[in-house]
Amino acid sequence: MRDNAATRGAAARKLWRYAGALAAAALLCGVLLGGLSAWFLGSVAIAGLTSAAYSFNVHIPGALVRLFAVGRTAARYGERLTGHHAALADQTTHRVGLFEAMAAAPTVRGAGWQLADQARLADYLDDVEDLDFARLRADLPALLLAAGLIGALIATAFVAPLALIPIIALLCALGAMAQQLARAGATSWAQTRLLRRQAAQQFGAALTSAVPLQAEQAWAGRCADALGRFSQAEEAQRALRLAQAGLDALASLLGPVAGVSIFAAAWFAGARGEALLIPAFLAFSWVALAETAQGPSRMVVAALRRRAAKAEIERWIGTATQPAHSPTRSPAGLTALHTSMQRRAPDGRPLGARLTLALTAGRPTILTGASGVGKTSLLKQIAGWIGQDSMESETGPLSAEDRRRMAMFCPHDAAILTDTVRANLFATALPDEELWQALEAVELADRIDAAGGLDGWIAQDMLSLGEAQRLNLARAWLSTKPLILLDEPTEHLRADQGQRILARLVERLDDRIVVMSSHNATGLPDAATIRL
Amino acid sequence: MEQPVTAEDRPDRRGGSPDAFAVLARARRLGSAGLGRLLGWQLVRTALRLAAAASMAVPFGKLIMEQPFGGSLLTALAISVPGAAVAGLMADRAQARTETEVSTALRNDAIGRLQAMPAGRLRALAAGSVTVGLQRHPEAVAGLVIGHRAASLMMAIGPLMAAVALAVVSWQAALLVLVLTPVMILFFALVGETIRSRADAQEKAFSHLAGQFADRIRTLPTILANDALAVEEAKLAGRLDAYTAKTMGVLRIAFINAGLIDFFASLSIAMLAVFLGLGHLGLATIPGFSGLELWQSLFILMIAPDYFAPFRRFSEQYHAKAEGLAASAALDHLLDAEPAPAPALPAVERALSKMTMPPSGLLVISGPSGAGKSTLLRRLAGIEAGPTPSPWTMPQGCVWVATDSFVATGTLAEAIGNNGLDAPCPTRLRAAAASVGLLDDALLPGGLAARIGEGGANLSGGQRLRIALARALVSQRTVIADEPTAKLDPATADAVRRALLDMANSRLVIVASHDPELIALADRRIALDATASLEEAA
Repeated sequence: MRDNAATRGAAARKLWRYAGALAAAALLCGVLLGGLSAWFLGSVAIAGLTSAAYSFNVHIPGALVRLFAVGRTAARYGERLTGHHAALADQTTHRVGLFEAMAAAPTVRGAGWQLADQARLADYLDDVEDLDFARLRADLPALLLAAGLIGALIATAFVAPLALIPIIALLCALGAMAQQLARAGATSWAQTRLLRRQAAQQFGAALTSAVPLQAEQAWAGRCADALGRFSQAEEAQRALRLAQAGLDALASLLGPVAGVSIFAAAWFAGARGEALLIPAFLAFSWVALAETAQGPSRMVVAALRRRAAKAEIERWIGTATQPAHSPTRSPAGLTALHTSMQRRAPDGRPLGARLTLALTAGRPTILTGASGVGKTSLLKQIAGWIGQDSMESETGPLSAEDRRRMAMFCPHDAAILTDTVRANLFATALPDEELWQALEAVELADRIDAAGGLDGWIAQDMLSLGEAQRLNLARAWLSTKPLILLDEPTEHLRADQGQRILARLVERLDDRIVVMSSHNATGLPDAATIRL
Repeated sequence: MEQPVTAEDRPDRRGGSPDAFAVLARARRLGSAGLGRLLGWQLVRTALRLAAAASMAVPFGKLIMEQPFGGSLLTALAISVPGAAVAGLMADRAQARTETEVSTALRNDAIGRLQAMPAGRLRALAAGSVTVGLQRHPEAVAGLVIGHRAASLMMAIGPLMAAVALAVVSWQAALLVLVLTPVMILFFALVGETIRSRADAQEKAFSHLAGQFADRIRTLPTILANDALAVEEAKLAGRLDAYTAKTMGVLRIAFINAGLIDFFASLSIAMLAVFLGLGHLGLATIPGFSGLELWQSLFILMIAPDYFAPFRRFSEQYHAKAEGLAASAALDHLLDAEPAPAPALPAVERALSKMTMPPSGLLVISGPSGAGKSTLLRRLAGIEAGPTPSPWTMPQGCVWVATDSFVATGTLAEAIGNNGLDAPCPTRLRAAAASVGLLDDALLPGGLAARIGEGGANLSGGQRLRIALARALVSQRTVIADEPTAKLDPATADAVRRALLDMANSRLVIVASHDPELIALADRRIALDATASLEEAA
């Protein structure tokens, strides 16, 4: 894993170097093409007036013009390609690292995974993309532009020093305006993001309550109120675009201002005729350089979006420092767990009195109670997902961290990965017969057979809620962990089907500690029931 | 703007009907004035850019050749250079403004559709896809009908303007760039075809690789629950690498497009420079390229890149088109999709046809799941249309008590007092909250000052139901309750029953329930079942 990441990092660095070199070559060719063409035309026009026309060597400048023209085209193509390749290589490294960091974040194990929501996920991906491509969109062009400007300024200092005054004045104005855009833009962008988030949250809440709201004749107002925030967000974004337009308009003056200043400075310094050819070269180089620097506001915006994205992603990851996965210990030998512990809500608040738990393999424990009483939270606490409680086992105390490694937690809203059925069962080491056995047990074998077998690809929206739940139970069936925690295992299933599957599952797991939550009777004869 | 939606207001929508949302046509109509303004400014910018190029080329050429030139040229320069910048600024602003207007108007129209949508169809929508759709799709469609459209129109006009400017100096030079264009377009067509077929083939081959990162982030808790992090991480890295390799295959061809424009722009400059140079030296007599003044050849050299600039700008808009078309299709689909017809429930129709509504009392609708209890409630509330008219129009609205009741953000007191017109006194608020056990709820600490998160995100279904019930208690409205005692612990269920009974003294309380204790308390019962429906007075 780490080795792969290291080689990928090295490859990306090499690609960035190539991209930088090609971009520099493209810029140089473009600038020289502009300057040389003008110088060439001026020289031949002057030579054409005299007999020098016949001795003028047109081949070298002519060949150079063609070279720069072809060189610019080729280098630009190469720059685009290697630049994107480098950015994509970075993207892989970055996304794999991000995946690991997100996995270690405490929010993943807490209540309700927010990124299961399509709208939140889309915003999150925008942020990740802003981070992935900022180097290509902001850093590389800014670096090149700076290098080009420094080169052109140095040349100007030698050829027409007086021209530096208006050019530097304009560059300072541009710099000040870019800074102003970065500041004001960051505010607009923050506002845009806030309004979008509010709109999504409020609309989601209103849509969940669509029937009550319509009955109370409050739907139209809530709906317009929530979604109207998207338009307010767009207004904030428009403020950003207007500010961008100002910077870009000012930047479009750079070429003409530089060109005219250089000619004027040279002319006032006494250069006439042939002596103006070198200033002409420089002036047209500036024009070409300024052409490549059109739309500098995009770089500023890419940079400010990166900052916002970084802050947001850090918020997701939180302050997790511990590695998300460490080598798995052999799960053998856990047959009893007991503790007296304080129940906690997902946010850490204590719930009710202390609870004494004695869990044994072969005798499933069922947690019942009204909706909202904290059944899921207790399961997560036993699984070591929330809280830092220690539990006693026959081999000594087990910390939350230990139990996390020993537990298979089967959430009631378990997701389906967009992948093969085999990958979705998370039992890569087991032979096909066992996988099919599990699918038979959860009454899903026919459905999977029809959908392309174990190696057919499935996705969340291809399965009904009931089918997803049964696949989820097949995962529990195949799990080798000694502690199996099932959250509402019969939810979304027909009552009789739920009973059948659950009975088979409990029989299969009779050497494991099984705890499940349920808001209705499960009909398991040997189970111990805890009413919360 | 809170108006009840009746069946008559709801337009009947079928494919191709004049009522279809038709996003693209609508957006074009909305944006036509703004697009005209934008195009106007872009034309002014192009004209002024050409003028600026000319008014730089002439003095530069004449200075080098030590020829005199008129002061009017400098005036032209002083006007055209800032003028082009200002016109560019105005064009950018016009584009930002028009795109925002179109997208806001589209969104408002879409919101109008959602406001008028019956609850049955709303419940079939996924919140995530509507949210994503209403945030992004109007912007993408506006980008297509404004930005992309302007770029494609400018691609037709801009090069012609540059060619006309060239023709002023040398019509042969204008002809040269014009002749290069069909060649370039031919290459475009060839490359475009290859890109499409390659991209389609790739799309089929690796569509399952795209979005793997998003999918693994979405399913992260499940991956952790199954202790599959290490496996999935390795797999993700492998798939992202594979995706990069395949993407590069497509990009290698896709960038040829931009490369072609670069190539022809560079080629034209190189050809023009060499032809013009030879012409100046008098070494070759090429018609249109010989006997020119230096300012004329500099003019040609400066204008030529402007001929190709609109092509480049258009090719940068490639994504805008694909995104805009996809967005408009998605938005149409979202807003025009025909709902699946509701299953016919004869028991509900029979119950409705026989029903009479008393002014007060507890009316309990019972029956097995699937018999249509919730449907009957929606029909009575007038939010779902059906063959049998509702026997009753609800007087001045109702309070809907269910596990999916809406709870306003703020404090618990605000959520309970959130009733539009009525402003209940604090004592009544407290009494109402206490009677349904909201003040001693360990999961909602803080009494009346307890914080309700955005959209009630921190509440369980039972808490939502009890807050709605407290809201009903402090109002004088009719109460409609859907399974109010299911999933509650016995003590709370008992409190809920008492609260319902208490309200039934002064107003009508309609409840759908299969709770025998609640059914026993009813003044009037309606039993729904698949075969018969009977109403009996208690």
